[in-house]
Amino acid sequence: MSLDDAQIVNVNPQQQSPDTLQNSSSHDGIQSKSWRASSVQEVGFVDFGSKSVPQGAESEGFSMSMSHREINNEDSRLVYVNDALKTNERFEFAGNSIRTAKYSVLSFLPRNLFEQFHRVAYIYFLIIAILNQLPQLAVFGRGASILPLSIVLLVTAVKDAYEDWRRHRSDRIENNRMSFVLVNDRFQQKKWKDIQVGEIIRFSANDTIPCDIVLLSTSDPTGVAYIQTINLDGESNLKTRYAKLETLSRVPEKDRMNGLIKCEKPNRNIYGFHATMEIDGKHLSLGPSNIVLRGCVLKNTNSAVGVAVYAGNETKAMLNSSGAPSKRSRLETRMNREIILLSVFLIALCTVVSVCAGVWLGRHRDDLDMLPFYRKMDYSEPVAENYNYSGFGMEILFTFLMSVIVFQIMIPISLYISMELVRVGQAYFMIRDDKMYDETSNSRFQCRALNINEDLGQIKYVFSDKTGTLTENKMEFKYASILGVDYSGEGTDFDGEQRGYCIQVNGQVWRPKMMVKVDKVLLRLSQTGNNMKANEQIYDFFLALAACNTIVPIVVDTSDPSEKLVDYQGESPDEQALVYAAAAYGFMLMERTSGHIVIDIQGERQRFNVLGMHEFDSDRKRMSVILGCPDGTVKVIVKGADSSMFKIIDKSRNLDVVRATESHLHSYSSIGLRTLVVGMRELGVPEFEQWQSSYETASTAVMGRVALLRKVAINLENNLNIVGASAIEDRLQMGVPEAIESLRKADIKVWVLTGDKQETAISIGYSSKLLTSNMSQVVINSNSKESCRKSLEDALITSRKFVVSGDPHAGGSGALIIDGTSLVYILDSELEEQLFQLANNCAVVLCCRVAPLQKAGIVALIKNRTDDMTLAIGDGANDVSMIQMADVGIGISGQEGRQAVMASDFAMGQFRFLVPLLLVHGHWNYQRMGYMILYNFYRNAVFVLVLFWYVLFTGFTLTTAVTEWSSVLYSVLYTSVPTIVVAILDKDLSRRSLLTYPQLYGAGQRQESYNAKLFWLTIADTLWQSIVVFFVPLFVYWKSDIDGSSLGDLWTLAVVFLVNVHLAMDVIRWSWISHASIWGSIIATCICVIIIDIIPMLPGYWAIFDLASKGSFWICLLGIQIAAIVPRFGIKMFIQHCKPSDIQIAREAEKFGNSMESRGAEIEMNPPRR
Amino acid sequence: MDALPRPKLKSKKPKYSRFTQQELPAWKPILTPGWVIASFVAVAILFIPAGLLCLSASERVVEIIDRYDDECLPDSYSNKGDSFIQSKDTNKTCVRTMKVPKKMTAPVFIYYQLDNFYQNHRRYVKSRSDKQLRDPGFADETRDCKPEDNLHGDENEPIIPCGLVAWSLFNDTYILSKGNKVLDINKKDIAWKSDTEIKFGSDVYPKNFQKGELIGGGELDETKPLSEQEDLIVWMRTAALPNFRKLYGKINSDLEANETITIVIQNNYNTYEFGGEKRIVLSTMSWIGGKNDFFGIAFLTIGGICLFMAINFILLYVCKPRPLGDPSYLSWNRNPSGQ
Repeated sequence: MSLDDAQIVNVNPQQQSPDTLQNSSSHDGIQSKSWRASSVQEVGFVDFGSKSVPQGAESEGFSMSMSHREINNEDSRLVYVNDALKTNERFEFAGNSIRTAKYSVLSFLPRNLFEQFHRVAYIYFLIIAILNQLPQLAVFGRGASILPLSIVLLVTAVKDAYEDWRRHRSDRIENNRMSFVLVNDRFQQKKWKDIQVGEIIRFSANDTIPCDIVLLSTSDPTGVAYIQTINLDGESNLKTRYAKLETLSRVPEKDRMNGLIKCEKPNRNIYGFHATMEIDGKHLSLGPSNIVLRGCVLKNTNSAVGVAVYAGNETKAMLNSSGAPSKRSRLETRMNREIILLSVFLIALCTVVSVCAGVWLGRHRDDLDMLPFYRKMDYSEPVAENYNYSGFGMEILFTFLMSVIVFQIMIPISLYISMELVRVGQAYFMIRDDKMYDETSNSRFQCRALNINEDLGQIKYVFSDKTGTLTENKMEFKYASILGVDYSGEGTDFDGEQRGYCIQVNGQVWRPKMMVKVDKVLLRLSQTGNNMKANEQIYDFFLALAACNTIVPIVVDTSDPSEKLVDYQGESPDEQALVYAAAAYGFMLMERTSGHIVIDIQGERQRFNVLGMHEFDSDRKRMSVILGCPDGTVKVIVKGADSSMFKIIDKSRNLDVVRATESHLHSYSSIGLRTLVVGMRELGVPEFEQWQSSYETASTAVMGRVALLRKVAINLENNLNIVGASAIEDRLQMGVPEAIESLRKADIKVWVLTGDKQETAISIGYSSKLLTSNMSQVVINSNSKESCRKSLEDALITSRKFVVSGDPHAGGSGALIIDGTSLVYILDSELEEQLFQLANNCAVVLCCRVAPLQKAGIVALIKNRTDDMTLAIGDGANDVSMIQMADVGIGISGQEGRQAVMASDFAMGQFRFLVPLLLVHGHWNYQRMGYMILYNFYRNAVFVLVLFWYVLFTGFTLTTAVTEWSSVLYSVLYTSVPTIVVAILDKDLSRRSLLTYPQLYGAGQRQESYNAKLFWLTIADTLWQSIVVFFVPLFVYWKSDIDGSSLGDLWTLAVVFLVNVHLAMDVIRWSWISHASIWGSIIATCICVIIIDIIPMLPGYWAIFDLASKGSFWICLLGIQIAAIVPRFGIKMFIQHCKPSDIQIAREAEKFGNSMESRGAEIEMNPPRR
Repeated sequence: MDALPRPKLKSKKPKYSRFTQQELPAWKPILTPGWVIASFVAVAILFIPAGLLCLSASERVVEIIDRYDDECLPDSYSNKGDSFIQSKDTNKTCVRTMKVPKKMTAPVFIYYQLDNFYQNHRRYVKSRSDKQLRDPGFADETRDCKPEDNLHGDENEPIIPCGLVAWSLFNDTYILSKGNKVLDINKKDIAWKSDTEIKFGSDVYPKNFQKGELIGGGELDETKPLSEQEDLIVWMRTAALPNFRKLYGKINSDLEANETITIVIQNNYNTYEFGGEKRIVLSTMSWIGGKNDFFGIAFLTIGGICLFMAINFILLYVCKPRPLGDPSYLSWNRNPSGQ
């Protein structure tokens, strides 16, 4: 077999399993991290010559069990290619019509009600309403008792119906899209919803794939198809998929294809697929690189043909469309505790009433028959019998149940609904905040979880990823060290006349899409050809950069028809940066097909055959490519992390160069650059043939293919000549140092968890101001448990000094730097406690070379040991576990796909948005929500207590002077709107103050807006206010001729006025909306009371008018308001003056000019004390 | 590395508005010491005179109260009030006298006061039919009135007005005389106008009322429509509290000080069985209603407290001033040792 015949098709995304520790150590330097966390590895396959050897290999850990797992018939589905009838005859596979809508017209009512009643609150409501329907217990009329529940159900149902209608509409559009489907040996247009499993479908470029298909053939002779998965995982780069050689040549219209695909049952793993295909008696194995999922778009491929294997709701995309994660906020957890307390109060009230009622009944036992207001006996029947009396015990039980009904709003059910509405409002403002809009990625802030808004105001720990979170993850080639010469001249801009490197192709100008700053010396050297020794090395270096990668060049049109842009698409931003760099120096990768690459070298187009490729893996930490050069030589080019490369470089030949390169690498990484070393070696013919045969054997091996291939690679990758090293800069995102500074001032501990090298991590730490020069660093790098224990103990002693010296700016506080290897021994062992203490003593913690699961472990370390709120922020798939572990997870929607975003509670474009998010919105949300909860407790309890006091004066019989409609409308209408409006709109401090004084964030960390003390104070205040509201009218009208309805109206108005005035007293910013809602509620209440009193059928007819005509009513109303408010007002003012909160002072400073700023400047010099 | 201009995407940048950025113009009141003191003083200034006004108004009201339920019980029936009142043969007439302490200017209101009578008892308040009272078409709307719904349980004989409230109608009568001159008691317009005109039908006549086995109280003139039965209308406005007064009538002439009023009481109403008390009350009215010192005292107390608070706050602000917005009070600027 000649070299030219050998075709190697192999490019596919690489993944590592998350639980191998070494994993994270250096591949940041090699490739993107985006695939790391996926636990199933993509199956690579290699077609070698005419023999196709499919391979299904998984990660080392479970490759043995997985790769040889025969798919059992029970858990597989059989798909007969091009025979939808037969495929679907035995099993009813889902059709391709999708249904994201939840309800149909018929099922809406029952299903929606069913879902709504999943909430405990609604069940409580329902039980109360049902109790009230029993004749003995009918406190309220039928209508009045069902009203609140039905209003809530209706509002929710309307909201759900609207959302579902929108889903129906999008489903309809989606289902009616068209595709070409093979029917009777002809491709015909068919609606998506009619596509069935087993049918053959044809796509053209830019078509969206309607269901999960196995590729049969593509327009590319080697069977490659490029797809974009932006709809699936948000990654915009192109991925390659392959058709099997066996099916490649078939023309579906002409020769009928008959085959059988046996594949897994539908599952949601979008990175895994496992199947076999039987065609023409041959057994083929299919892997994830053969399947194209619904929602992907075909790109750069003229056409492709595939067979549908999963359709409709069974496609992987649909199985993955799950909702946002559900978490419960800290505040809500606390609130639930208080709600239990309130339930105890409720039961206590009811018990008091029923015990008293029992005593009363007992004392009047003998009179009950005749008592004019009781009349137990019904004498109208021939035989006198008891009327509506079920015996002493039952009467007491009924009294108890009735009092539960009357006092039901003691448990503020409406609070749950208010909280939901408030959170929607808060989310609206967070999303609309133009300070959290990211220009570069054109993304707004996203609220994915709607129930933890207020947690943002209480964060104590921030765990941040580095790459892509603190940095932009936009790699930029910075420096090169070639043959021991450092080309780190400051990157100059392009020469005036020459805008970067470009080439002429068919009269068109092709230029790289990204321009790179170049080193002039190096540029000149690279252009002078490869005659000198140094220049030869430069030639090799750039050839290696251009060739040793998995980048696919895509030619993009521009507005100028004579100019085209070359866009390098690939999985790894580092590789992209290297290829762009090579292009800038005149080594432009133009074309990559399965078997060869074309590189334009200084205007001269050269074709290299790609004879083989050993992909990156986390053990070797390097990749290599075997190139057949135009001059007939075969070269192996290896690039990888320095630690792994220096082991395989032949140091005997170029010791000076190696030493120089090492020192360059050190200086690069100490300024935070990511480094790679390139090595190369020419292969002799015997060696090549030996490699080729073992490569072939390994690729076609059935068992342990991955291990075999690795062995082949390790055998090949040795005795390399060092070519050079590259340094890539991952720039810090805008505003990161300032953001970290603000967070630190806000007493939030920022921990950085990165997979990068220690030096890189430390240098990023310095440039992001996380580390400062006056900090003493505690470094823990240990290789065994014992040494870990020792260094932890030593470090603890050192670290106590930071705490003892107390003054953080005198001695400089400590920074703990720990690496993943040490963490292996510490996490999940008894050393955890020591690490926790040590970390507590240090101001900054930097963890380097940590694996994804360790990140979660570190978050758990804090979460399990403290009550403090944790926040994790990251952008890559490797951050998912940490994001899910933390109380609040934030995804950066950046360069690395969307897995982090999908797992997060909130997503945003830039790290620096954390500052407005926490310090401004978090603070507001927390303060608003805390106040709203307390206010809702108060507002309901004060009303219940007024009802309760009255019951004590009615022979304990649950009469309500307040009309039943008013008691029902109280929490629904009279007082609900202002609390929601205030909780959405009120601001205790302006954005400016909050950002200028990050320390104000401490209010949330100290739980100043909601705590047990405030709760009890509120309850005490409630008690006082209810006493005033009830007893003032009682004494005024004791022994007077006032009727029940009039007094009831007085109480209604007094309570409603009072709770609104109370709210008004606490409102900080009065916008017109607050005015409208508060005063509007009072007016609405008056109108309602008037309406209720002009119905002649009700006993209280005209009461309000009679009442209002008397002076005593107005005096009473005024007196109640003042007497009820005075204690609260006095205490509030006293505290404001004597023990002002930070917020209070900041508010005063905000209002009364700049006294704070002038004096603040000098005090500002003192950083916050921890 | 600079990106060449990419094809323009539709920007998702949120549109700026003062609302979405939470920058609506707003009034941000801060209660400075001045405001605090001013508001306390204002309340004091408002409430102290108001309290004095209420007290003086209450002082001007002249009220004569006479409890007669036990006094009108003959000695032979003491402790057996129940049987006294239920018996048809006993003489229920009772004569009481009272002295007018101060001049009472017309109109003088006559109330009866019942104590310990739970007109707000749940069983009681519900036992009425407002529909029936208003509209003759709803005569048989007696569902809620049990056990006083139908005569002898016969559905075709609904009781109008039905229910315990009407059934227990108060039926003591008073004749007042000054010397030998009988005082004219005006029993017109003692009920609310809205009740006589709308709530109680002018074409609804009492029927089967107090015809049952058990007589609860007063009877009604079957020839007069309910809208003219003002005693019933007053009674049907059930009292809010277990101790209550109801208007009996008005005297439209002045009563001079030290005059002796003789009251002839028909003691018909049974409060003995549940230990209730009956009183007759003669009272004038002021703008705050009847005699009631509570208002005055309460207002004076609130006003006094506010004045006290104002003084305290003045002292506090003088002795321990705190400049507003002084950053040295911020928690992170306070010197831990100096605290």
